[in-house]
Amino acid sequence: MIKKTFRVEGMNCSNCPMEVESIEDDLPGIKQVSASYQKGNMVVEFDETRVTEAQIIAAVVKRGYRAFLA
Amino acid sequence: MNQLFVAFITGLTTGGLSCLAVQGGLLAGSLENQLEQQLDQQIEQQIAARRAHRSGKNQLRTLAHPRLALPILLFLASKLVAYTLLGFLLGALGSVLQLNATTRAILLIAIGIFMVGNALRMFNVHPIFRYFSIEPPKFITRYIRRKAKNGANAFAPLFLGALTVFIPCGVTQAMMSVAVGTGNAVLGAALMFAFILGTSPVFFVVAYLTMQLGVRLEKAFMRFVAIVLLILGLVSVNNGLVLVGSPLSVQNLTSALFTRAPASQALLAASPSNTLSLSASNSGYSPQRLYALAGQPIQLNIVTENTYSCARDFVIQAIGVEKLLPQSGTVPVNIPAQVAGTIMRFSCSMGMYTGEIIFGP
Repeated sequence: MIKKTFRVEGMNCSNCPMEVESIEDDLPGIKQVSASYQKGNMVVEFDETRVTEAQIIAAVVKRGYRAFLA
Repeated sequence: MNQLFVAFITGLTTGGLSCLAVQGGLLAGSLENQLEQQLDQQIEQQIAARRAHRSGKNQLRTLAHPRLALPILLFLASKLVAYTLLGFLLGALGSVLQLNATTRAILLIAIGIFMVGNALRMFNVHPIFRYFSIEPPKFITRYIRRKAKNGANAFAPLFLGALTVFIPCGVTQAMMSVAVGTGNAVLGAALMFAFILGTSPVFFVVAYLTMQLGVRLEKAFMRFVAIVLLILGLVSVNNGLVLVGSPLSVQNLTSALFTRAPASQALLAASPSNTLSLSASNSGYSPQRLYALAGQPIQLNIVTENTYSCARDFVIQAIGVEKLLPQSGTVPVNIPAQVAGTIMRFSCSMGMYTGEIIFGP
């Protein structure tokens, strides 16, 4: 299990992190996502054997945001 | 029962409009979150539409009626519940929970700064203003997300609606005083429930009209909300400054610029005794400037006649006077002797209505 920080672009309000965090519902390898509108990022704790960084980024993009490894 | 009906009618008439001026910013804030998210969803759908090589027109049509009614109702329902609980506490605990003028002034200034900060955030002035946005605790967002997939927007209007408890307008404060006077928790709760229920239609109608504007103008509406927030924020800060008698408030700055030499002989002749009379009506205080003799105690008689506005909650911060006036009647306020040249400012408890007493030789 590793923890990585991603920069997230496109969050315009305080409700957006909730939407970003919902990627943990899609990807079973994710243990926890903590997104912050103030910091414009998200910290993801995930099992790298079950889910990749590219999959995480794709899940964020699917929700209308942009994500990059910080 | 009659008392509850009067509370409802008071809310429906004066309460709704008066409170909207004070609490409108929070309502705008709750709408703003909803609208921002819907704009995001719209962009997302447009991207999806392009990918599917479909016409964007059909996608837009499905978004012609954003669900803004729900957050408005949540805001109002939360406000109703919060004030009913407050009424319960006021009825049970009496005047212990009443906020004094200084505490309210600090709250007004803090809320004003919050609104201005949010407006600047919406204008994207600097990322630092993102910290003015209320971000609900993670455990709550996680709970909401898991329990209600469609409830992503529920928290902000609920929370903001409850927050209005901390910024009651003058009419609400008057009603809170009545709730205290009941000395009964259930009656206090019922009274506040009836009053806030009465204010709700005005809030809803204004919000609904705002919503229609938002549907047509979308992004321009965001600017509009930001501008409204900015204005309300500045007004709130100014009201707070008025309440503490600060010379930096707009009223006091303009007064300092335009006041001529105090107490002309003619004006003094008009009030030769050390007794002054001030009318507190629904539109404020009259006259807004009184002249008094320096060096001797003054009795200020404040007259109300069917007054329901926040002018009823009279404050002279400089000498620590705060009185809730009756709807009709005369209340004397004793003012100790002042030196010549003193300008004593007074206002309602929300800093909306103001005036001053100028002491001359």
